[in-house]
Amino acid sequence: MTTSRSRNGPRPRGTMDDEGHGFMVELERFQGPLDLLLHLIRQQDIDIFDIPIHTITQQFLVAVKEIRAGELDSAGEFLEMASTLIRIKAQMILPRPVEDEDEDPRAELVRRLLEYEQIREITRRLERSEAERARRRAKGWIEDRPGPALDDVPLETTWEEVMQAAMGVTLPEVVDRDHRVTPRTVSMEEKAGLILDTLRRLGGSDGIEFRRLLDPFNDRMHGVMTLLAGLELGRRRRILLRQSEPFRELWLYPRDESDAVREVETAQGGSLGPSPDGPPTEET
Amino acid sequence: MKAEQIVEAVLFASDAPLRADEIARADESLDEDAVEAALQALKKFYLESGRAFGLVELAEGYQLLTEPQYASYLDRLETVPRPSRLSGPALEALAIIAYRQPIGRIEVEYIRGVGSSGVIRTLQDRGLVEVVGRGEGLGRPLLYGTTRRFLEHFAFRSLEDLPRAEDLPVVLRDRSTPILPEDDSDEGEEGVDSADAKVADSDAEGTESDADGADSDAKVQPVLDDGATAQ
Repeated sequence: MTTSRSRNGPRPRGTMDDEGHGFMVELERFQGPLDLLLHLIRQQDIDIFDIPIHTITQQFLVAVKEIRAGELDSAGEFLEMASTLIRIKAQMILPRPVEDEDEDPRAELVRRLLEYEQIREITRRLERSEAERARRRAKGWIEDRPGPALDDVPLETTWEEVMQAAMGVTLPEVVDRDHRVTPRTVSMEEKAGLILDTLRRLGGSDGIEFRRLLDPFNDRMHGVMTLLAGLELGRRRRILLRQSEPFRELWLYPRDESDAVREVETAQGGSLGPSPDGPPTEET
Repeated sequence: MKAEQIVEAVLFASDAPLRADEIARADESLDEDAVEAALQALKKFYLESGRAFGLVELAEGYQLLTEPQYASYLDRLETVPRPSRLSGPALEALAIIAYRQPIGRIEVEYIRGVGSSGVIRTLQDRGLVEVVGRGEGLGRPLLYGTTRRFLEHFAFRSLEDLPRAEDLPVVLRDRSTPILPEDDSDEGEEGVDSADAKVADSDAEGTESDADGADSDAKVQPVLDDGATAQ
């Protein structure tokens, strides 16, 4: 919800009917609760130093009700603000001791709103500077990207091995370049079923090469989902994944809780011929 | 060999802005003054000879950049990479860090009203902000500040090029005021009743790195208190 680039220019983010209630807002257009509050205040020409806390709280709560269960992640921030508003409302109602030097309960909120508004203005200006700068290019300009910490990745392999692995990959030919992504995606559960069924059909403790699971499907998404399903099944201890060394073929083996131990043993000393110095990389 | 040519060669071969003292390291005959003189001569020369690029002053240094009016031509070529732009939330967090540095994540989140660890991470990965120290509060929180790469990204010469607070329609709160209210330091941040909370940690003044852009808003009076209490 906070990913929308609702930055510049007045956009119809909410409308009010003639009576001034029934305030409709599209919550996902807002960067957060402060953005929403500012919007409510600005759209109704409310004096920010004298916010009618009752009305605003009401409107805010109506907007928050729109949050669906699936968006609970960012809902917390809105709910937190709602509780703040209610707290302020309560403090406004409660009689305050005369000698109490406490300021208006709304003061901190006003400060936050003003500060946030300022930040939004600065953000807009930064965006303009960024756009302007983007029109000038440097020689040999290279897209900056997060550099991986190379030290953390000891890669013990030779170019020959990389080459071999690369040659072994058969990529499906892209036939139709402007195909559209269809919403019907391959489900991981489907692939998990395929893996288990295949292994069951093979019977016993026979394994299957990952590559062969892809044979019927000439599609990248199937490959991705099959791999994910394989990893997930491994995690759930339903199958064993084995690779004798990096870049080698990935094997999938059935695994029973009862004979899990035996499986590990036979596979380790078994027909794969794992190199003595390179233990199997995956063992679940 | 003339200083101008050496400086030009260095600029041509560099993919990032270079300061005069960095350029001067190319040859013993060069010092900062000689480099500056050469830079001015080159700048004038490119301008007068109608080059499609020019010498631009940014990120405390100099760089050869194409003139903006040629962007549309470059955009047509796939081999010329396009600059990547920041997302709205990332820009917002970056704005806060730029103006309030050094600043901790919690303070950024309080100002934005939303969680910000993800965007801060993105900004860090892209080299626009970095950890500049630790605060004094609970757990010694990491404090963030902007980098030279940040200046480069927006073509600012220094932090002084940031939009000045007095040019903005709304007034920032005084820098000496703490961002977080004092009474609830751990979770619920909206301590609406403590206006004069103590500086928690990160907002301490007098830190060297924010000398430029930030000083301007230090002068701004906290006008909000009076306005807010007058009912």
